[in-house]
Amino acid sequence: MAGYKAFGIVSSADNSIHVEGLHDYRPIGAFSFIGRFRVIDFPISNMSNSGMDRIQVYVRSRPRSIAEHIGSGRHYNINSKRGKIQLLFSEDTNVNSIYNNDICAYSQNLDIIERMHQDYVIIAPSYMVYKQDFSELLKSHISSGADVTLLYHKVDNAKEYFQNCKIVNINRQKGISSLEKNLGTAKERNIFMDTYCMSKDTFVSLVKAAKELSSIYTLADIVNLKCKDLDIRGYQHRGYFASLLSLSDYYKASLELLDYSVASDLFRPEWPIYTRTTDSCPTQYFETAKVSNSFISNGCLIEGTIENSVVGRGVTIKKGAVIKNSIILAHVTIEEGVYIENTIVDKWARIIHVKDIRGTEDHPQYIKRRDTL
Amino acid sequence: MAQNEMLAMILAGGRGSRLKDLTNKVAKPAVYYGGKYRIIDFPLSNCANSGIDTVGVLTQYESVLLNSYVANDGRWGLDSRDSGVYVLTPREKADEGLDVYRGTADAISQNIDFIDNYNPEYILVLSGDHIYKMNYAKMLAYHKEMGADATIAVRPVPMKEASRFGIMNTDGKGRIVEFEEKPKKPKSNLASMGIYIFSWKLMRKMLVEDMNNPNSDHDFGKDIIPRMLSEKRNLFAYEFKGYWKDVGTIDSLWEANMDLLDPKNELNLNDSSWLIYTEDVSILPQYIGKEAKIKRAYITQGVRVEGSVTNSVLFTGAVVGKGAKVVDSVLMPGAVVEEGATVTRALVAENVRIGKKVKIGSRNSEEIELVAKSVKGGTK
Repeated sequence: MAGYKAFGIVSSADNSIHVEGLHDYRPIGAFSFIGRFRVIDFPISNMSNSGMDRIQVYVRSRPRSIAEHIGSGRHYNINSKRGKIQLLFSEDTNVNSIYNNDICAYSQNLDIIERMHQDYVIIAPSYMVYKQDFSELLKSHISSGADVTLLYHKVDNAKEYFQNCKIVNINRQKGISSLEKNLGTAKERNIFMDTYCMSKDTFVSLVKAAKELSSIYTLADIVNLKCKDLDIRGYQHRGYFASLLSLSDYYKASLELLDYSVASDLFRPEWPIYTRTTDSCPTQYFETAKVSNSFISNGCLIEGTIENSVVGRGVTIKKGAVIKNSIILAHVTIEEGVYIENTIVDKWARIIHVKDIRGTEDHPQYIKRRDTL
Repeated sequence: MAQNEMLAMILAGGRGSRLKDLTNKVAKPAVYYGGKYRIIDFPLSNCANSGIDTVGVLTQYESVLLNSYVANDGRWGLDSRDSGVYVLTPREKADEGLDVYRGTADAISQNIDFIDNYNPEYILVLSGDHIYKMNYAKMLAYHKEMGADATIAVRPVPMKEASRFGIMNTDGKGRIVEFEEKPKKPKSNLASMGIYIFSWKLMRKMLVEDMNNPNSDHDFGKDIIPRMLSEKRNLFAYEFKGYWKDVGTIDSLWEANMDLLDPKNELNLNDSSWLIYTEDVSILPQYIGKEAKIKRAYITQGVRVEGSVTNSVLFTGAVVGKGAKVVDSVLMPGAVVEEGATVTRALVAENVRIGKKVKIGSRNSEEIELVAKSVKGGTK
């Protein structure tokens, strides 16, 4: 098991990233995902299921929702005596400052990183969704003798999607020759999953080297620069993969899971995705309810019509309301006769007076948290 | 409430044999209810929400599952310092050997040493197999206000049904003057709910005496309460209004589940100020498929519906296949109704599979059909 050898770092999205609307209220890791989960449940569950029980979660801004959600980490099956989930911040830097990046956070907490007993580190992002056994990644990393191993996913839709992601260029020897931004110029790309495996010593020296070269270099920047000097390899991921670095990617990724075979591949009984329970009761469907092809969370009261949508906990859909191709977050109320299509409705919003809200497949509409329309 | 002012003891030893195969391997308090709960979640959550810190659970019949279930006290938030849920099964004692619990009172008597550890002022004695939401702190306030030695929770039942219950006759000011078990000619309609608050000092003394009384059945209803009345103790009835159900039979368990479908159901499990806590599961939300039709249903996470569901309650991980029909039924956790099968007026037990095109139950059946074993489907 990787647990004896590697500790985990769950990283935050770069400060250049801003997901419309949702991101104003919480970091991407705290975004709701298919109703009852939050995005950060995926990397933490991957680590926990891989036997890793020392996990550092780096939060760049607005820590409340993440801190509340992670708590003691007990619901992630982390033993509170032997294991630990730590929340770490870059403490003295302005949230929006260009200085506030991952290297800044790591170097401010370098003493804590250096004190970890594990020889290896696995770094996974809090803003991507995938299932990966990290002990397999570590095994491959160790047996290859590489300095750094990067997880990537081969896609054929990099033109429209995977905005703000990086791609890896792979040379003939299966080494990584460079990392660069996905500019959407080609369909087929190897998307970098912002997931790294390396020894703790390599990690510490990369953090120091980045800091020395430029005050605003990120870990990806320094890894890219070191492609010539270090043995950096790729490890291909297979299965469901979503990056949530833009609103349309979030929207597309959520609705993609309505294909039950895709969802059930991500949620295997032997690879549970843990989350914090809210103890909501089951959902009640009334006489007039019409629901199809949708994921519905607990605690909802449904009298209206729902099609191809994801509905969070404690949502009320009144009689005659129609929800299509939409994501409704927790505790939203949709009043009688309201029509909603291609829209993301943030938590606690109430749609009462406005009867028609539509976005498009490519540009979903976003309704603010706690808003009344 | 001050720390351990009142200790709760939940009687959870009963089998509930009229629940047939559902209680072959588990005691009645562990039976599933309401989509995601077990019955014992109700008294335990009530304790937690009433500010009670320490709860003893007295188990006996098929107690393995129940013991491990309730020992996980964090589920109900009963895991802070000085708080906990303790499983108390009959145990061998140095001078007496091993005794089973001979009655409800004896179950408490045999654990006097446990209760003494906490030195409570009051003890609350509950049944582990009733479905209701109740604030025991309010009942305790009433107990104190009346200066009672014992307070018994009662609820009004229809007069014509009163002869099926233990009936408390009061003097109009709440003082209990007479207790009649299943009276032929009831004088009142206040039925005992099997929820007692006792001032511990007196009760401890009475229990020690009762233990050594060879003529006693060691039962609160049969022995302790009548004796208190004959000794002219202060016994008060605390009237409870609200949903309460003792699900003794398959029909009543089914009915209690169906009650949840009523938009105005009194139990209201959606009340965020009085949540019922239970086991947590790592599972997908409920998925309602492309051709699914759902009307009047109570459905929990992990369920997958591809067929049609009407007037039914579906528990964690239940599956309704394409073209399958589930009507007026309860599907317990992991129950699967395969393609084209029809389930009507039935209760399908945990992990039972109803095979393709199989027909179970009928609309006009007198009794609810319990399906406790998988049924193989047709080969067509």
